[in-house]
Amino acid sequence: MKVTFKIQKFNPENDTKPYMKEYTVATHPNAAVLDCLNDIRWHQDETLSFRRSCGHAICGSCAMNVNGKNGLACQTLIKDLKQGVITVRPLPSFPIIKDLVVDLDKFYAKFSKVIPYLNNDGPVPEKERIQLPEQQKIIEESTTCILCASCTSSCPSFWADDDYLGPAALVKAFRYVFDTRDTTAEKRLKMVNDKNGVFRCHTIFNCNEACPKDINITGHIAELKLALVTTKM
Amino acid sequence: MNTKLVTGDSGVKRWFYQRLTGIFLAVLLIVHFAVMHFTGTGETNYQIVEARLASPLWKTFDLAFLAFALYHGMAGLWVVIDDYVHRDGWRLLIYSAAVLAAVLFFTLGAVTIITFRPHIVWFPPKV
Repeated sequence: MKVTFKIQKFNPENDTKPYMKEYTVATHPNAAVLDCLNDIRWHQDETLSFRRSCGHAICGSCAMNVNGKNGLACQTLIKDLKQGVITVRPLPSFPIIKDLVVDLDKFYAKFSKVIPYLNNDGPVPEKERIQLPEQQKIIEESTTCILCASCTSSCPSFWADDDYLGPAALVKAFRYVFDTRDTTAEKRLKMVNDKNGVFRCHTIFNCNEACPKDINITGHIAELKLALVTTKM
Repeated sequence: MNTKLVTGDSGVKRWFYQRLTGIFLAVLLIVHFAVMHFTGTGETNYQIVEARLASPLWKTFDLAFLAFALYHGMAGLWVVIDDYVHRDGWRLLIYSAAVLAAVLFFTLGAVTIITFRPHIVWFPPKV
């Protein structure tokens, strides 16, 4: 089958603003959008730039906006998309470096603000730190985040004000706040207790729609809000 | 993290009270609808409202309704301004206008409810 792609191109050295370019690819319904992008880059336009690495929906590199919806290009199959021209754009509201490659520096900077690693001030145990299965279950969903930025880039609150921490950082905050082996929950809660923290979330649920790992992001942020109301700090 | 002028607070209280007033509003609205539309004759006229407003209980009910609705609405408006107005000067101006409007609306509503006395004939028939 032949599929037509309309891909947003932008080279800051030559172009003043992004434009759309059409490509036609011979492909298979079971192929992913990433396969088609590879095909275009290898056989039609070697200037087409995009990030990709594993191709198996675990590295989070190829997040982009396909037919208006954020997601991983490697996970989006041609047969699941509406018939007709497939529109591919970079993740919205991030600065574009080239074509489909966006600048994620600020995104990572915000991510590191929530202290995204395990902290424990207690004495080091002889073996491992024990966590019960039911305690693990609370954080299990949030641990599956692959940091692809699909959620943050789909969030209207983030579009309106990019000082907002964003859903990705908040999910990571949740993951460590509710980890029983971690002792710095209060520090993280104080960090997200800000008008640019959890309270910028107005439960729009775009992040849930975009998440390639189906994490209930809005639900996790709501848990953080509740924790802030019920915890005395 | 940067905290801008006027809203130095995190918003945790505003978020919580907006939920709380939301629940109260839902309850008050159900009572209001039941009383206005599903009980009695189904007719609403001056005499019926007058009879109701003669009771301090209904005055309290209406005052609570007014206060919760204004708080709920203003908390929502506050967040919208927070999201879309990024310049401190504009923020201050719009917040001030919102607060002023809220005070004005509350005063107007409260004065109407509290000072309402039945059997006042505003336009006495000409003799």
